[in-house]
Amino acid sequence: MQIIENLKVQEKVYVEKLENGLTVMIIPKKGVQKKYAIIGTNYGSNDSKFIVPGEDKETEVPKGVAHFLEHKMFEQESGLNSLDTLTALGVEANAYTTNDHTAYLFECTENFYPALDELMDYIQHPYFTDENVEKEKGIIGQEIMMYDDYPEWKVYLNALEAMYYEHPIKLDITGTIETISHINKEILYKCYNTFYNPSNMVMVVCGDFEPEKLLEEIKKRLINKEANGEIKRIYPKEKEDIVKNKVEEKMDVSQPLFVIGIKDKIADTKERVRKHIAVEILLNMIIGKSSKLYKELYEEGLLYATPSLDYEFSKDYAHILITGQSPKPEIVYEKIKQQVNNMKNTTIDSQEFNRIKKRIYGEYIKEYNDVSNIARMFLADFFKEINSFDYLEEMLIINEQYVDQVLKSVFDDTKMVLSVIKKS
Amino acid sequence: MRYNGKEIKKGIKLHEIETDKFKTNLIAIFLSMPISKETVTKNALISAVLRRGSKNMPTQEKISQELEEMYGASFDCGLDKMGDNHILKFYLESINDNFIPQKSENILKSGIEKILEIVFNPLVENDAFKKEYVEQEKENIKRIIEGKSDNKAGYALERCIEEMYKDKPYGLYKYGYIEDLKAITPKELYDYYKLMISQCKIDIFISGNVKNLKEILEKNENIKKLQERDAKYKINKLEEKEDIEEQEIIEEMDVVQGKITIGLDVHLKNEEQKYHVMLYNAILGGTANSKMFQEVREKASLAYTASSSYVKYKSNIFIKCGIEIKNYKKTMEIIRKQLEDMKNGIFTDEDIINAKNGIISGIKGIADEQDTEITYFFGQELTDSKTSLDEYIKKIQKVTKEEIIEIAKAVTINTIYFLKDNKTSKEDK
Repeated sequence: MQIIENLKVQEKVYVEKLENGLTVMIIPKKGVQKKYAIIGTNYGSNDSKFIVPGEDKETEVPKGVAHFLEHKMFEQESGLNSLDTLTALGVEANAYTTNDHTAYLFECTENFYPALDELMDYIQHPYFTDENVEKEKGIIGQEIMMYDDYPEWKVYLNALEAMYYEHPIKLDITGTIETISHINKEILYKCYNTFYNPSNMVMVVCGDFEPEKLLEEIKKRLINKEANGEIKRIYPKEKEDIVKNKVEEKMDVSQPLFVIGIKDKIADTKERVRKHIAVEILLNMIIGKSSKLYKELYEEGLLYATPSLDYEFSKDYAHILITGQSPKPEIVYEKIKQQVNNMKNTTIDSQEFNRIKKRIYGEYIKEYNDVSNIARMFLADFFKEINSFDYLEEMLIINEQYVDQVLKSVFDDTKMVLSVIKKS
Repeated sequence: MRYNGKEIKKGIKLHEIETDKFKTNLIAIFLSMPISKETVTKNALISAVLRRGSKNMPTQEKISQELEEMYGASFDCGLDKMGDNHILKFYLESINDNFIPQKSENILKSGIEKILEIVFNPLVENDAFKKEYVEQEKENIKRIIEGKSDNKAGYALERCIEEMYKDKPYGLYKYGYIEDLKAITPKELYDYYKLMISQCKIDIFISGNVKNLKEILEKNENIKKLQERDAKYKINKLEEKEDIEEQEIIEEMDVVQGKITIGLDVHLKNEEQKYHVMLYNAILGGTANSKMFQEVREKASLAYTASSSYVKYKSNIFIKCGIEIKNYKKTMEIIRKQLEDMKNGIFTDEDIINAKNGIISGIKGIADEQDTEITYFFGQELTDSKTSLDEYIKKIQKVTKEEIIEIAKAVTINTIYFLKDNKTSKEDK
């Protein structure tokens, strides 16, 4: 196995790409009771139009299939449900779907190998019937309705809708009650066979293990399956500009919620990590906890807590999100724009820059406390073609010039949107 | 892991958790006192005002900058209800010196100094808290209280508890009441703070690369100032439950999904039975194998969330699920059936083994998370008991089916709370 070591955080990751195309990453953690295993496929809610390897015509499936499939993977031919089997072993099992990947996982202190048996078994043996597919529509319908009551979710989706014309990132991961009504077992099998091929998947395990031994155990549990060819994913051509700069909706909330979005272009693989760090530093300088603007807005009662600052990106989209609550989101929005422009006209304050760098460095180190956090981070970064350790290395070499350049190119007024949920 | 608890002064205790598992050191200070209508709002306000600035770090900006210099140490505070106690919680997490790129000062030591400074050396002007801070934080607390209903599932639980504990300490909202906020002056709040700090129970937890911190604490000026005390707090002992008639409360709000919360009373005879309740709860609604999850979600396809949780200090179980509003009656029938089935022993030995596995796995994982471990030791402190993780596991292992059935028979419904939309007509309610 290839060993990548990071001396800053004093951890190692063992990586192996198997013959069938599956990538395995193992991060050993001595002395820890918890063990965490996660297996993911590079298939998320964005992938509803694609060409199956070996075919030449396009396939289009209803929105929400990736998530629906996630729910149905637990169903077994024996009539048992793998989630029950795993829970019975005393392990905590779960699954989730994002825009670009779907992952299945468990965390345990005992029974790791029996749980691994089950995880790898159900991932490799789907069992869909007309009946079990129909039943799931009721459950997912309730999940969709639950999200309908979350203003945080609405304000986020609205921001994406204001930024994107065509890209499926703007759609709800679950699909809608209407789109999922068209899902049937044939569609599920087609998507499973296309995307749940080992060559499109990665497995990450973190805990107190001997990596080589564990790798053998994983290999033993793989069924014979050949790597398939490249899956061509068809994303609509997305324009660089935004759809509209403001979107407002009314809901039953005590205080307005807002998301400020900035649409960006995805950086080259090489630059992704550095750009991510630069954006984080800038966001902290603009409106982070120690910033002048935050102090001002807090004291005026326009913000009650530091907004959450995120840079979301995958292989084919990128955007910044500033999320918070304010009695007057429009003022917060204008002030942030002003602050960005002020910063563009002055040089970056070195002292502040270095202080924020230290803070972000510390936050990256903290990510390595918990087995689940570590495994999920390596998995999510893998699908973005990033090695998580790179954040710690890039952090130390990033400089003010580069950050200034990112400020001027990314924080563009014309790419900004404001999404607000107001009191009904 | 090595745990060491020592009294620094009467009523003030240092708990050292020595471990090398983590990249971080975590310091927690808990101030405990009985919860009451008179003090709950003031406590909430104090916690908010303290984080605004201290004598030597007078602004939030200054605090944040100093923490950033310590490689992103993070400070956090919160409020909790544990039994009939109100707890003010303060945390400071910083990375362990081994992971700092350039060796510099002792980050743990300065972290200890910073958190003690924030909690015990507030910014005072004219023998009162700073006026602007108090006024601004009053607004913030008001907004938090008003925002209680933003999270509908959380709100349904909160309302259920309020109805179960009307005019009782546990029914109080941990952030207090808007009508009590207005009258609080900076001077009055500071006077109350001084009184509270001199009477409450103080627990200081430090987890991580720690050794012999007692000395550092004893030399600290802010600790020196604190007096010995007969700490006033409620030791959480077995809760006696009255026999009351089941009540149903239906309220309307602008929701898409209906939220059911059912508060159950568990009438216990002795402390040991608390372990039996853990098993009962796991089988009823604690896991994906549970009756709630299987019957309400998987078989009847009525819900996405369907679970129950056990509040040990108050001997309550809360059943929660989110459903389509028209399915209220149907869901309630299924839930009642599960409670009956538990009484009649309609669950298998396998269910018991599975539930035990889940609980034991949870116990074994406690030491893998710093805050969870601190909470575990603090729980013991408040119940004045000592159970090691190994003993805890043994107690779970030996619970029998009969003991679980006995719990099922000791469970009564106290309150059914249903939050529905304001559109549904009466017929299909």
